[in-house]
Amino acid sequence: MNMHVTPQHTPAEKALIEGYHARVGDLPGDGMVTIKRDEAIEAIKAGLPTRHVEAWHYTDLRRLLTTVPAAATAGNTSALEPLLAGSTVLHVSGGKTQAFPSAQGLSFMRLSDELVEGRGLAALGPTDAADTIGAINTAFVSDGYGVEIAEGVELSAPLELQNLHNGGQVHTRFGVNVGAGAKAVIVERQTGEASALASAITTLSVRDGAEVMYLIVQEQPKGSSHLGQFRATIGKDAKLTVFIMNAGGKLVRQEIIVDAAGEGCDFQLRGVNLLSGDSHTDVTMVLDHSVPNTGSREVIRNVLTDRAKGVFQGRINVHQIAQKTDAKMACNTLLLSDDADFSAKPELEIFADDVACGHGATVTDINEDHLFYLMARGVPEKAGRGLLVKAFLAEVIEELENEAVIEALEAKLDAWFVLHG
Amino acid sequence: MLEIKNLHARIADEGTEIIRGLNLTVKAGEVAAIMGPNGSGKSTLSYILAGREDYEVTEGEILFNGESILEMDPAERAASGIFLAFQYPMEIPGVATMEFLKVAMNAQRKARGEEPLKIPELLKRVKEASGALNIDMAMLKRPLNVGFSGGEKKRAEILQMQLLEPKLCVLDETDSGLDIDALKIVSDGVNALRSPDRAVVVITHYQRLLEHIVPDSVHVLYKGRIIKSGDKSLAMNLEENGYAGIIGEAA
Amino acid sequence: MPAVQETIDQVRLIDVDQYKYGFETSIEMDKAPKGLNEDIIRFISAKKDEPQWMLDWRLDAFERWKTQEEPDWARVDYPKIDFQDIYYYAAPKSTPGPTSLAEVDPELLRTYEKLGIPLREQEILAGVKKPGHEESEDGVLADSESQSANGGRRVAVDAVFDSVSVVTTFKKELAKAGVIFCSISEAIREYPDLVKKYLGSVVPQSDNYYATLNSAVFTDGSFVFVPKGVRCPMELSTYFRINEKNTGQFERTLIIAEEGAYVSYLEGCTAPQRDENQLHAAVVELVALDDAEIKYSTVQNWYPGDSQGKGGIYNFVTKRGDCRGDRSKISWTQVETGSAITWKYPSCILRGDDSRGEFYSIAVSNGYQQIDSGTKMLHLGKNTSSRIISKGIAAGFSQNTYRGQVSAHRKATNARNFTQCDSLLIGDQCGAHTVPYIEAKNATTQFEHEATTSKISDDQKFYVMQRGIPEEEAIALIVNGFVKDVIQELPMEFAVEAQKLIGISLEGSVG
Repeated sequence: MNMHVTPQHTPAEKALIEGYHARVGDLPGDGMVTIKRDEAIEAIKAGLPTRHVEAWHYTDLRRLLTTVPAAATAGNTSALEPLLAGSTVLHVSGGKTQAFPSAQGLSFMRLSDELVEGRGLAALGPTDAADTIGAINTAFVSDGYGVEIAEGVELSAPLELQNLHNGGQVHTRFGVNVGAGAKAVIVERQTGEASALASAITTLSVRDGAEVMYLIVQEQPKGSSHLGQFRATIGKDAKLTVFIMNAGGKLVRQEIIVDAAGEGCDFQLRGVNLLSGDSHTDVTMVLDHSVPNTGSREVIRNVLTDRAKGVFQGRINVHQIAQKTDAKMACNTLLLSDDADFSAKPELEIFADDVACGHGATVTDINEDHLFYLMARGVPEKAGRGLLVKAFLAEVIEELENEAVIEALEAKLDAWFVLHG
Repeated sequence: MLEIKNLHARIADEGTEIIRGLNLTVKAGEVAAIMGPNGSGKSTLSYILAGREDYEVTEGEILFNGESILEMDPAERAASGIFLAFQYPMEIPGVATMEFLKVAMNAQRKARGEEPLKIPELLKRVKEASGALNIDMAMLKRPLNVGFSGGEKKRAEILQMQLLEPKLCVLDETDSGLDIDALKIVSDGVNALRSPDRAVVVITHYQRLLEHIVPDSVHVLYKGRIIKSGDKSLAMNLEENGYAGIIGEAA
Repeated sequence: MPAVQETIDQVRLIDVDQYKYGFETSIEMDKAPKGLNEDIIRFISAKKDEPQWMLDWRLDAFERWKTQEEPDWARVDYPKIDFQDIYYYAAPKSTPGPTSLAEVDPELLRTYEKLGIPLREQEILAGVKKPGHEESEDGVLADSESQSANGGRRVAVDAVFDSVSVVTTFKKELAKAGVIFCSISEAIREYPDLVKKYLGSVVPQSDNYYATLNSAVFTDGSFVFVPKGVRCPMELSTYFRINEKNTGQFERTLIIAEEGAYVSYLEGCTAPQRDENQLHAAVVELVALDDAEIKYSTVQNWYPGDSQGKGGIYNFVTKRGDCRGDRSKISWTQVETGSAITWKYPSCILRGDDSRGEFYSIAVSNGYQQIDSGTKMLHLGKNTSSRIISKGIAAGFSQNTYRGQVSAHRKATNARNFTQCDSLLIGDQCGAHTVPYIEAKNATTQFEHEATTSKISDDQKFYVMQRGIPEEEAIALIVNGFVKDVIQELPMEFAVEAQKLIGISLEGSVG
């Protein structure tokens, strides 16, 4: 193929480009915002990434994104019961923000207002050529919340951000600033009632000395395409724990981009991917250790059934000045079906010499010795297998050390096993 | 043989002063014991003698056979005859103990302008020394200190000390983690090295080791200084009455 | 053997900027004009007296090459290569295909002597004195030394000088066993059916940019054929040497082990010191049929460039083994200390059931060297297994990347892989990178991958120095311990030399 001819657009690319021109007039924002949006759609015109783009090696978006639903979402959705009882809930329905709740130590704003008033511009726009999620979201983003947690505040109730829809397309953003020394548990829910194309970007700033647990629970309906991006910076002596659960969607790409930017900070990532049907789920993490004396641990556990495909890409970049970095990453996968497949690319990019970094990746079947032991104790094989698979996943959840969180996530796990176990 | 004069030293990174005006003289043929409570600077002193870069000497002098060693790197000090038996010997994966002995012995010989040892001669020496320390040849094939038990590590240290024939032996808490049989073997190994032209500095928290390696002098180290010196009865006194009395006396 | 001992002694004498093999041999050369076009390819083919089919194959490759793009995914950075500014053919003039040592230009023999290569058969036969000959009766010294107790092992050598194979030793004795060991040029003339059957069957003619270029212009290389049931009676070895200025070296090696055969093959490479970069784009193909085993070892010590990053070899090599038969085994061991840029992924296609692939690698980079190297283990057959041990050491301003792919095909039941990938950084101006691709499409897959990056601990260094071992030696000792798992996979002939080379490559890295 001659490389210099613009490729024929796929139906999905065509739908995005044409959809953009039809809708741009209705999207919020002043002229500067529109310029950003125009630039973003140009990036999409150049073609969605294929596997030849290294960052998308295992998720050939051009091939996999086959359908783009019509833009409009049908009607409103009502807020869900929060994952953690007593949470303060912020709810986006079909790409539109709803009324603010009241909560101490928290202040809120709407992205649509910000864009109209010419603020929030800096956050828009793809960060680089491979940032396709940033490009799609910038082109189409309609609304979202900005949340400010004041300095030193310890949130008494968890905060839950719900991004709900009833099909169609939803393009939203959350921005959360956690003030110095503040403490918070934040839950992000991504789900809906009909198949949709969703792009959802969250930016989180964890200021010096703050401590945040951030849970992302993605349960998009069958047939949905979910393009998620989570960006965080961690300040000095701050601690961020991110947990991600993927248990839905047909085509899912969840990017987690973290900058351990403050000395003495710590980043923890735990992930559970429950993959079934014909889904394709890609969790891609890029972690920068950009200052000395920072630490990180990532543990991702995947279980695949049916014809599911899973991907984990994790790259740890240790900058030249980031001496004494201590970073470890692990990705463990159980393939429960011969038709499922999983690809992992755990990378280390290291430019500082005084570091201890490592990664491990395994793809295995369940341990036959353990299964035999259970069966010898009278547990039937099927139940024994189920028990071992669940234990494999529960292990990472239990590391979160928060009783309410563990209980809620394990309930999700149980629910999934009822359907797929 | 060893003269330490008004030594001040601190942790190079952060500047905390650990040794604060330490004076100590050890003569050839002498066995000197340095005792002191935890955190008094005992291990630091051994590291400074061996030339560890993490510590910075800010004042004072260390003379070995009349010459300053402060400008020498650890390998040069070792070649000049200073040996440190480590409290926690390091594991060196992939390097067979025997290979390590060969490299170390020949490096020191080279530094002294001597020919490298021929393999049969090397083996003869290693075998003799190992036998007395109850080290079998199989252990010498294993990578240095990797997977060695506490006792094996300490015996390997004494084996190195015997083979390298240093002038000054510094033993840092060599008794820690040893059962009574191993303690006996290790002590016998050290005692075998006692000679009129060799000095030994035994650093220990407890008097127990000194029952086996009987010192000529005992020095109490506290807050980076020698606060009391005496003969072996001082060690007995410490065993019975603890450090508190002496510390109080000095204060 | 004495030659190796001599090498070690020489090697001890020099420091990092004095690349040991950096001398140049003045031999009259027969060269084709610079540049690449059909005429050059015809010239090469004519020089080699090749049959028409070979020329056609080359021309076809050249056509395809013109449509291909230089790959850019590796983590290496270099100015664009002007492929028209390279000599594609250079041969020592006085050796139009020597048939015995007596016919070889004595100057050339001296070159090989300098390189420490034992060409003279009588010398090899007399090779009782081995490195580490002061062997103890207990055998408790390092493994590399105790191995020499096995007595005088013999090695048959094929030497490739710029574009041509100049001499192959031990031919007669090998022939008795039915083993063919000759230059690929000779094989094309003498064993066209074998070459036709296997050439390009593992690395297709237009597999990748450099392999396609090689298909078009390869000048020489080794050919090994070990027939059914034969265990090759000695190690086979090729030494490659780039001597001429501006010369590309494009060797092509093809090794076939028939059912139940075994062969161990060693490859060594050097080049003189030059300010300009030189290109080396080789292709190596291995074929192992049922129950066959091929062990392929490389010590790559091409000129790495000077301490400022000037000059050096671009080493863009495609090496692939095909475990075509059931229960076959291919094992790659490489020690990479040279070259300005290395782009190399010796791979195994585990096609046969119960086949096994192994990759053991030490990659040392210093100065401004860039290495992007690793392997591919493609599990296709049932019950296949693979093992990867990679040790990367980066010093100076170098970049050292491990890139490896392990994949289990949908039908590859019970595929097993174990990967251990460790990197060591010496100094804070260099980079060590690990990029594994792990792909499982079968539920019975068992893949385990582990990687670590660290530095030599100050505690370890202090401990070793306290025993009187100077700093550079202490680091070399610790590094040699770090790479031990790989060193012991090397045949004795290379193990000692490899250890010394690693030490030398790291000289000047501390301070």
